[in-house]
Amino acid sequence: MTQVYPEFADELEGFGVNTTMDCFNCGTCAAICPLIYEHFPRKMIRYAQIGAKDRILENYEDLWRCLHCGLCIQTCPREADPGDLILGLRRFVVDHWRRT
Amino acid sequence: MADDNKDKKATSEQKVGVYVCHCGGNISDHVAVEEVCKNAEKIPGVVKVQNDVFMCSDPGQELIMEDIKNGTVDRVVVASCAPDLHSSTFRNAIQRAGGNPYIYEHANIREQVSWVHHGDQATNKATRLVAAAAAKARELQPLEPFKVDAKRHVTVIGGGIAGLKSALDLARKGLDVALIDKSPFLGGWTAKWDRAFPTDDPVSELVTALAGEVLNSEKITVYTCSRITAFEGFIGNFKLTLTQAPPESDAYEDEIKRLSDSGKGFGEFVPLAGICPAGIPETTTTHDIETGAIVLATGFLPYAPRYGEYRYGESKEVITLPELIRIMAENRQKGVGDTLEINDRKIRSVAMIHCVGSRQIPGIHEPDAKGNLNEYCSRTCCSATLHAASMIRNNHPKTRVFDFYRDIRTYGRGQEELYEEASDSKVVFFRFEADAPPEVTRNTGSGDFPLNIKVKDTLTFDEELEMPVDLVVLAVGMEPGNISDLVEMMKLPVGVDGFLQEVHPKLRPVEIAQSGVLLAGTCQAPFDMGETCSAASGAAAKASAILGKGYVELDPFVAEVDLNKCLGTGTCVNACIVEGALSLVEMDVDGEKVKRAQVNPALCTGCGACVAVCPENAINVKGWTLKQYEDMVDMIVSDRILPSQTA
Ligand SMILES: Cc1cc2nc3c(=O)[nH]c(=O)nc-3n(C[C@H](O)[C@H](O)[C@H](O)COP(=O)(O)OP(=O)(O)OC[C@H]3O[C@@H](n4cnc5c(N)ncnc54)[C@H](O)[C@@H]3O)c2cc1C
Ligand code: SF4
Ligand code: SF4
Ligand code: SF4
Repeated sequence: MTQVYPEFADELEGFGVNTTMDCFNCGTCAAICPLIYEHFPRKMIRYAQIGAKDRILENYEDLWRCLHCGLCIQTCPREADPGDLILGLRRFVVDHWRRT
Repeated sequence: MADDNKDKKATSEQKVGVYVCHCGGNISDHVAVEEVCKNAEKIPGVVKVQNDVFMCSDPGQELIMEDIKNGTVDRVVVASCAPDLHSSTFRNAIQRAGGNPYIYEHANIREQVSWVHHGDQATNKATRLVAAAAAKARELQPLEPFKVDAKRHVTVIGGGIAGLKSALDLARKGLDVALIDKSPFLGGWTAKWDRAFPTDDPVSELVTALAGEVLNSEKITVYTCSRITAFEGFIGNFKLTLTQAPPESDAYEDEIKRLSDSGKGFGEFVPLAGICPAGIPETTTTHDIETGAIVLATGFLPYAPRYGEYRYGESKEVITLPELIRIMAENRQKGVGDTLEINDRKIRSVAMIHCVGSRQIPGIHEPDAKGNLNEYCSRTCCSATLHAASMIRNNHPKTRVFDFYRDIRTYGRGQEELYEEASDSKVVFFRFEADAPPEVTRNTGSGDFPLNIKVKDTLTFDEELEMPVDLVVLAVGMEPGNISDLVEMMKLPVGVDGFLQEVHPKLRPVEIAQSGVLLAGTCQAPFDMGETCSAASGAAAKASAILGKGYVELDPFVAEVDLNKCLGTGTCVNACIVEGALSLVEMDVDGEKVKRAQVNPALCTGCGACVAVCPENAINVKGWTLKQYEDMVDMIVSDRILPSQTA
């Protein structure tokens, strides 16, 4: 059971991400992403939306798979900049490591 | 409505013209039109046969009009698509050429032939249908539509925005209007909301704009606290009795209290109640109204959740969307803080659940006490919920909003933006399947939140998520209003969903089977205010078109008694399915007082139930007589046109 923690979207603003809630989970980014991997990047974005920090930290390796090709940013219908969100999540993960 | 027998001619003299349509290949790809035409020349009475790529086109219609004008033909058969589509086109063409529009018969060789048969079978069946139509055409007599005087007066039942808008449009057209509401207030549910999506207009302004003009109009008489208690008559000439009475003890208690607390006068908008035009009657009175048309604008009822549905009734922290709207409106009057408050309780997080009482699925949802399920989408709750969600987030930034939906259906102009706005204001969305709705329980875990919500969230790959909340809001949908008394009295058609049902959802959306009775607004289906007003204007336009001339013309296809044959047995009267359409009356025949059948053509629907039972064949439906049927059948089975039963 995952506890929802909506304040996480606010925390992410400190890591340069202010589009967390814009995503409406259509999956276009996951379809266009050349990695074709486990709903990436939507899955990470969803975890960010509901503030499932543990899930993000457990799966941190995925964040470093991103190629920065920018295809998802170009195609996201909500202009949620999914690729940038991935970068922001990396900064969050690194920051978390520094602190612990 | 006299008997027009006198100008009937011997049938053998009729000159029938047959016009066969290719329908641009729709027909001619499967039916050999040339062959049908060649066969048609052999049909008794047929003097001219023509064909065209599109008979409904101007040049196609010209063919018929020319032949009528120069007297070549005086009966017309067009073989083309379904009669619903174009029989009126061809009747009008005949009329423009100076002929009587009722000397026309239609053969459907598209839906009944080319779309369902191929090759010789198609061509042969088309030939037989044309032959039957021509046989009937020889028997057709010129008819005149009935003219019935019509009262230039309309009664609008229901004073929500549908009723207000209809009444106003009618008055502007110069018609007199009686506007009736069972409550002491005008405005309906609209008056009980706060700001209207998607424009964010205060409802006070919307209702005041309409009701203000209604109350100022000399053409409109408003009756509040009133209900229709008797109904009779027909289009143009309805008679209604309405009973005006003090509201029952606890009815409209809240609204009446708001009126007296507000210090507002009659005719002024009272928030969350509406406009009370002129006090509340203390005694019961009745009024008789003669009216030409009736607009039904009786509206809807918000779904009332069952006890225990999402803990509704069990936990005071579970409320409906209408209740939330009311609370937010009252809060605004008091001034707002950074956290939403209900009864001095700070709401740190609120869960809003969509589709409560809508889109119910057999086998998954529990039917109500009468065994009904609301299988339809209520169409307004998604937008109303998201509008309220953004309002909470914008006015009370410290209140979190969790939104649980099955689908987001913010379908109209400016409504998708409500969804985006809600995302922008950081509403968190969760999506559930119908068979796994969110579970509301008392919170026994962390924090001092009273409730806890668990959901299997399809957006998070079916993972189970959980969150504590201070408030749960149920986005209840719309249900049909309780108007069983009107349905019973006026024999109104009700759809499987319980709402009133139009004749045709696309082509005749505001009419019902009873002529002269029209639908406006949410008595027909869930609509938002804009759609409600469109429907209301549609109903008003229809009513003024019907009554504008001061008389109505009715199709002449009604029963007619042949007094030379009628023996007054009354068998037909017993068979008639429409009250008042057929009766036995006393009359003088050859100096003798006898009883004979008499038709009220304004009420007769031309169903033919009487024709089937009369032992003397003394009653017939004009334009569809037994003789005409017999001739059609004779021609279908005859081998004069086609050698054997090939079709
Ligand atoms: C929670 C909620 C929020 C909504 N918010 C919005 C919004 O923000 N924007 C928007 O566009 N739409 C909104 N809607 C939809 C809107 O409320 C309707 O479109 C509108 O109220 C329909 O008006 P109406 O006149 O058809 O019916 P009603 O408002 O139901 O009015 C019907 C009237 O008829 C009277 N009546 C009923 N039966 C009889 C009878 N037998 N005899 C005499 N009188 C009778 C009633 O007293 C009532 O005054 C919302 C709906 C809901 C459920
Ligand atoms: S980030 Fe954009 S493309 Fe990806 S799921 Fe969300 S809305 Fe769709
Ligand atoms: S930017 Fe990263 S997440 Fe986006 S499509 Fe490219 S690889 Fe995939
Ligand atoms: S409008 Fe939305 S909440 Fe209302 S019934 Fe339809 S899908 Fe459900």
